[in-house]
Amino acid sequence: MQLAIETLLDGVMRTLRDAVLPAVQERFARGQLFAVLDVLHNLRDRVEPKAELDEAEASSAHAALARALDALGSAGDPVATALAEVPAAPPAARAAALRAVMGSAFAVLEGLPEDVAVPARRVLAEYLAAQAMRDVAMLKPSLLEEISKGHSKG
Amino acid sequence: MDDQDIVARLERFLRARLPGERSLRVVDLERSTEGFSQETFSFDVETATRRRRFVLKREPLAGLLEPYDLEPEFRVLHALSSDPLPSPPTPWLERDPDVLGRSFYVMERLPGEVPIPVAGPDGTGPFDDAERASLAPEVVGALARLHSIDWSEAGFDFLGDPGPGRGAAARELQRWEARIAASGLAVDPPLAEALAWLRAHVPATDEITLVHGDYRLGNFLVTRRAGSAQLTGVLDWEMVHLGDPLEDVAWCISPLWRGGTPFASGLLDPDEFVARWAAATGRTPDPARLHFYGVLAIVKMAAIMLTGLRAFRDGRTRDLRMAIFDHQLPYLYLLLGMLRGWIGGL
Repeated sequence: MQLAIETLLDGVMRTLRDAVLPAVQERFARGQLFAVLDVLHNLRDRVEPKAELDEAEASSAHAALARALDALGSAGDPVATALAEVPAAPPAARAAALRAVMGSAFAVLEGLPEDVAVPARRVLAEYLAAQAMRDVAMLKPSLLEEISKGHSKG
Repeated sequence: MDDQDIVARLERFLRARLPGERSLRVVDLERSTEGFSQETFSFDVETATRRRRFVLKREPLAGLLEPYDLEPEFRVLHALSSDPLPSPPTPWLERDPDVLGRSFYVMERLPGEVPIPVAGPDGTGPFDDAERASLAPEVVGALARLHSIDWSEAGFDFLGDPGPGRGAAARELQRWEARIAASGLAVDPPLAEALAWLRAHVPATDEITLVHGDYRLGNFLVTRRAGSAQLTGVLDWEMVHLGDPLEDVAWCISPLWRGGTPFASGLLDPDEFVARWAAATGRTPDPARLHFYGVLAIVKMAAIMLTGLRAFRDGRTRDLRMAIFDHQLPYLYLLLGMLRGWIGGL
């Protein structure tokens, strides 16, 4: 996720206050909307991301990178150096640092002969697939169609 | 600036451009879309003798394709105003911020509506079989027409000829990598993997054409009548440029725009779309180039989403649709995984 929870909640409150509230005229609905704003405002500093999600991602990414480095030998030295500098904690910072190392690993692999790169690429591909599934499993059904109806064009 | 103020300013603007229509009135002003990309207003101009329908596009404060420059798309649309391609005739561009706060252009409003580019609650796509049968040839034909325009003759050199070879693909890749970098947000591993692959597989071509850049379900203006559908307009030329025509083909058939169907832009089997486009243009679509642009299509979408997320994070937009990109990115990465082969499915 790219947005911190506080950032997301600040944005939700901004939209409700500046874009939705002026269009709500019915008194009870306006009262409820103010109550939502009040709840969100007080919730903002009491929530934090689940650390176990970052821990699961970091553990999986680190294991994949270690296996890829085994397969690469000395060709993977720049990646090994970056991996050694990844902080052990907190989980969010560790996961973010490992994502960056993963990115640099893909750039390194594209510069290597295919026979050297393929085994490592396969290991990292398994990681990408597993992490993509973990991320999608967290998501709720989308209301995209209803959202689209509120914004016509043409 | 409220709507009443906009109407008054527009009337002054139009009276200066429509001599002999001093009594004109702007009526039925409606703000169609706000904040996602360009701001769009529709309105009618009423005179003593007739009523004309227009659409106004204004540069937004924040948007998915920032930074904005309306001039290239205006110049293309203005030049195409008399072309058989169904693009909206576009008479006026105004850069003076004193007129409406920010740059804008005005185009004629074509008949039709834009089908919602997502699956309905029952999982059905935007068109039934009869509508697909009548609309698909028009969509393929219009794209073929667009790619057959002599862009030099039409005066589109200002868009920048990338030249033969790898220039077209390299320039597009650089353009979208720059947008990702400008977002300042982290590059997730699936995106990093795709970018590394794209950099290593930039294809060459000598076929340089006008490229719409956003030719897909969601930008087609359509009328429906008695079990058939007709294409009345191709909209949203914000990403127009000169490049490889396969970029448009790959974008239009991308899994991004299936609208809950297996069909390219809800219309045709993707392979059939490519075959019909090839037949209509006389071009041979190189599978490797098409695949490059297919992967680039998802990367483009990721770049657009990251730009929107950054605008939301900075508080420059109050449009919550930009925030929901944060939980659409994982789905985008699944598509990327299918195209790149690290997930089975496509």
